[in-house]
Amino acid sequence: MILSGELIHFGNITKEFFGIRALAGITLSMPSGQIVGLVGENGAGKSTLMNVLGGVFAPDAGSMIWQGRPYSPEGPADATREGIAFIHQELNLFGNLSIADNLFIDGFPRVRRLGVLKRGTANRLARQRLEAVALECPVNTPVENLTPGEQQLVEIARALGRNARLIILDEPTSSLTQNERERLFGLMNELRKGGCTLVFISHNLDEVLRMSDRIVVMRDGCVVSTGEKREYTVERMITDMVGRQINNLYPEKTSRASEEVLLRVEGLSRSGTVDDVSFVLHRGEILGLFGLMGSGRTELARILFGLDSFSAGNLEAIGRPLGGHKPAKSISRGLAFVTENRRDEGLLMEGTIESNVALAALRRRAFSRWSVWIRGGAIRERTLRTAGELRLHAADLRRQPARNLSGGNQQKAVIAKWLLTEPKILILDEPTRGIDIGAKYEIYTIMNNLAAEGAGILFISSELEELAATCDRILVMSNGRIHGEFSRGAFDEKAILEAAFEGLRIGGTKR
Amino acid sequence: MSHLRKRITTACGWLLADHFILVLTVVFFLVMWRIYPSMGGARNLANISSNMWPLLTLVIGQMFVLLVGGIDLSQTSIMAVTSVTGSMIMTLRLDPARFQDNPLWGVVLSESGGLLAGHVLAVPTAVILMLTIGACIGLINGLAVARLRMPPFMVTLVTMSFFSGFAIYLTRSENIMHLPESFIVIGRGGLGPVPYAMMIAFLTAVAAWTILNRMVLGRWIYAVGINRKTAVVSGVPCAGVIVAAYVFSGLCATSAAILYSARLEAGRPTLGQHLLLDVIGAAVIGGISLFGGKGKVRWAVYGVAFFVVLDNSLNKMPLNFYAVDIIKGAVILMAAVLDVLRNLLSQRSPARAGA
Amino acid sequence: MKKFRSILISALLISAIIFTCQCTRRPGEKQTVICFAFQDLETEYWVAAHKAITETLRSRGIMVLERNGHQDANRQLEQVRDAIAQDVDGIIIIPQDGESALTIIGEANRAGTPIAVFNRPPANRSRPALVVVADNEKIAEETVRYMVLAASKLERKMKPLILVGDLGDQNAIARRQGFYNVIGERPEIFEKPIEVPTKWDPATTLANLEAAMQINRGVDFIFTSSDFLYPQIRAVLEPLGKWKPIGDKDHVILGGLDGDSTAYMLMEQGFVDATGVQDLFFEAHAIMDALLKAIQDGQKTPEEWIEDPGFAITQENMQEKREDMWGYRVMAGLAEAKK
Repeated sequence: MILSGELIHFGNITKEFFGIRALAGITLSMPSGQIVGLVGENGAGKSTLMNVLGGVFAPDAGSMIWQGRPYSPEGPADATREGIAFIHQELNLFGNLSIADNLFIDGFPRVRRLGVLKRGTANRLARQRLEAVALECPVNTPVENLTPGEQQLVEIARALGRNARLIILDEPTSSLTQNERERLFGLMNELRKGGCTLVFISHNLDEVLRMSDRIVVMRDGCVVSTGEKREYTVERMITDMVGRQINNLYPEKTSRASEEVLLRVEGLSRSGTVDDVSFVLHRGEILGLFGLMGSGRTELARILFGLDSFSAGNLEAIGRPLGGHKPAKSISRGLAFVTENRRDEGLLMEGTIESNVALAALRRRAFSRWSVWIRGGAIRERTLRTAGELRLHAADLRRQPARNLSGGNQQKAVIAKWLLTEPKILILDEPTRGIDIGAKYEIYTIMNNLAAEGAGILFISSELEELAATCDRILVMSNGRIHGEFSRGAFDEKAILEAAFEGLRIGGTKR
Repeated sequence: MSHLRKRITTACGWLLADHFILVLTVVFFLVMWRIYPSMGGARNLANISSNMWPLLTLVIGQMFVLLVGGIDLSQTSIMAVTSVTGSMIMTLRLDPARFQDNPLWGVVLSESGGLLAGHVLAVPTAVILMLTIGACIGLINGLAVARLRMPPFMVTLVTMSFFSGFAIYLTRSENIMHLPESFIVIGRGGLGPVPYAMMIAFLTAVAAWTILNRMVLGRWIYAVGINRKTAVVSGVPCAGVIVAAYVFSGLCATSAAILYSARLEAGRPTLGQHLLLDVIGAAVIGGISLFGGKGKVRWAVYGVAFFVVLDNSLNKMPLNFYAVDIIKGAVILMAAVLDVLRNLLSQRSPARAGA
Repeated sequence: MKKFRSILISALLISAIIFTCQCTRRPGEKQTVICFAFQDLETEYWVAAHKAITETLRSRGIMVLERNGHQDANRQLEQVRDAIAQDVDGIIIIPQDGESALTIIGEANRAGTPIAVFNRPPANRSRPALVVVADNEKIAEETVRYMVLAASKLERKMKPLILVGDLGDQNAIARRQGFYNVIGERPEIFEKPIEVPTKWDPATTLANLEAAMQINRGVDFIFTSSDFLYPQIRAVLEPLGKWKPIGDKDHVILGGLDGDSTAYMLMEQGFVDATGVQDLFFEAHAIMDALLKAIQDGQKTPEEWIEDPGFAITQENMQEKREDMWGYRVMAGLAEAKK
């Protein structure tokens, strides 16, 4: 039944990919002038549903009613024309162009004459748009110079410029600072008051609960529950999402740090990024590395793994010195590195899942004869087994390209790759970013099991809560130096944050 | 009923996707045969076959380089240099009037032929020398691209110009005739019904297939081509892989040089000058991506087959000679556009199975 | 993607069918088919030769399959093999060089298809073919002899220069030889000649000639192995003040070979003293007649070596001889109705 005041109504939408059902008969409506929180694990169907709404896919069955009229877009352009804007997790801006150019890249008649951008008009309009989203920035700034938070505001400004009535925000807060988050939330409220409907997709359930008027929970391609905010708590959302009670967000910690030193770092320096860093990593230990963005943690990890060189200091892995090394050597010594950005550096997006999982371990005797001849059967079998252990679900590991996996599954594929190398020292850089609750839990479990079996884990993260729950010790890094070390049982949030802010340059956060 | 339909659709899909070009080639050949009966004649089929093998060898070599995201423009010059140097070892007789001013006259060349003229090991030695030179030029290309980080287009363009000029310098533009019969027979003869050229091309294809599908190096090649950064982090020795690809391309170019030189019964400093478009064209038609990371040996075979059949059919039509070039160019352009489109579509789609 | 593919196949097939339907000649009468394989048409001589051969053959009701090898010997080999597979009655080739000519003749011999080679002779006579070739050496001699006559009237020592063609071309070698033969007869009026390589390429000619003229300022006697390089010579001499007609004290004695329209015009204007003429129409007709006769007689490997004696056209005999000069005829728009 279609009620008036409803902006969009989905009627029994179904969609299948590679034989896997992504959406199984979704019936749902969203009113105008509200913030709708859409939650669910990865693989639940949230993005697919939004893609159908946004005209990226056509549904296999079902219909949509937009503003009281039947709606079946043939492409994203149709959706944009109707007033639906999709702000993706990976932003769609042209880095080297200015804000004004990005805002008017598909041209308004008022702003173009004979295809040429009228500078004056464009700049004036651009300034107006930026005001609407409260972004203070010269309109000719190249977009790549902005922070992710500011870039996001530009995207929203662009959406508003196209008279968007419904804006989908997919994981908008994952790369924002605290201030930027607040700014975004303020803007969302403004937009809602103006009659816009916002669909807020996020794994941060606290935020979702805070901002939304309505909540929609999806699981396995279906809408499991929907209702007003007051009907929900974070626990209920989790239960509905996962289908079972999760008492904790984190698994029980069974690993314990031993005395044996796996990794010893002394006075490690690299000009401009890392300065006199020293620490040790023990067998069975989960060592957290906390810090703000730009504090040098990723740079440190790259140096440890051999991607970048260091100018001073000593490095010792499992008792033997390590220096001037390349990743191949690190791997043979037992190091592994799950990088921050799985799309750029972690996966071969066009490659099959199996080829990705096998990539780092190809030289091992189990997978190749004399490191030359591939043992196809062994690789296939091991990939299947590891994927099962990690609960990596995919239709065809051998033929499906990695880009078709959800974010969580992609991350699991990266981890699977490193597991095949049987690492003794595992470095993980923001491994749970952009991943749903269920997958996060599984990753924490993997870390715990690995440590319990005797590996040493360096866990880099910006989320203090997850570090506090899983680590034996936490190091705090700021401006390339270690400014604090905290042991389990003495994790003082305030002190840790203070240490993270220490040593910053005068005048604000280092970008 | 719908189960059967599903089966047919998936079969068609498989046929269309992977073996598309082969299907296209066969269909095209059949249509042409209907219109020009001479296409199916024994002689014509032999021609098609004979034209395929050297081109296939080149395309397989180029494929390796394309797979790692590069390009090898110098294949033609490698052909010229190796053709000429090999001939200088093997040739049985040289005309003093033409070769007197040659820089190597008296040293390597004389009126009674080349360095090992008439010697029983002349031909094998020449072949080994040719392969070594081809591999060395490939090594230069590979090191420049991998270690010096120079763009492949530029590196191979430079080596192409340099070695082309070098080949002409070595021979003063002269072609070297009077090659031994045991060499020339490679171009024309065979073992029973199987031409030697086909055997060489077949061996090259088998070697390539083995490397790409059964060896660690093959997986590394694809990884470097798809995403070099990921490959680096995953411990792939990228520089070595790139060098290996260019060396393989050089060796393939040398094999092609052997086949073409035998065919033309002479070492020629201008060998293969205009072949590059054919090589890249056949590669792209087969579906090998110019962007790297995508290609299979059978695609190279299909691409070459289509190209050679197309060329052959165009020769049947009493067209103006420029029309032939226009058509060939148009087909290659379409194939390249298809490649770009495929690439764009796969990059843009946020397609994720149920996120 | 699948949709795109099917559209693509259909488009390709349809265009192929359309193309071929337009061009197919339904086999009704048994027509003589000759394949004419040439290598680009870079100079006026080749353009005129191509025109003469194709038009004459077609006017006799013969189907001509034209194939351009684009200066690639391998391509020409493939084209000829293809023609043989199509059972053509005869082949005329303008080969890239003497060596590839031999290889291609071999192919035709093995298949029993009569083959004729136009103007660029095979490297040796080991394989039977019909060959028409100009006696380049003799024509060059005749031309240079006239130039020497003009030089001896000047009563001073001459500084000669020769522009040499691509030495892979037999014709270039012969022309050079003719030049040296005559110069060698009169060592007393000639200093050692300067040789400028041109590789039959205008840009190379320009560069090398300029360099040579820089070093040897007093050059006053130039023989070019081909008339098509006259524009380059002019471009170098004019700025040096040496582009002057006969009678002027700075006139450089100039001669060439081929007989194109440029040569004729320059001779009329008095800049060029003499030029050797290959009798293009004689050559074209001779080769066509020989080939057609061989086809008629059913000969599979005909052999004949036809020489075009040619002649030198000079300031003296211009008026009477110009009708025989193909360049003049082309310029005057006359069809070669004479033969």
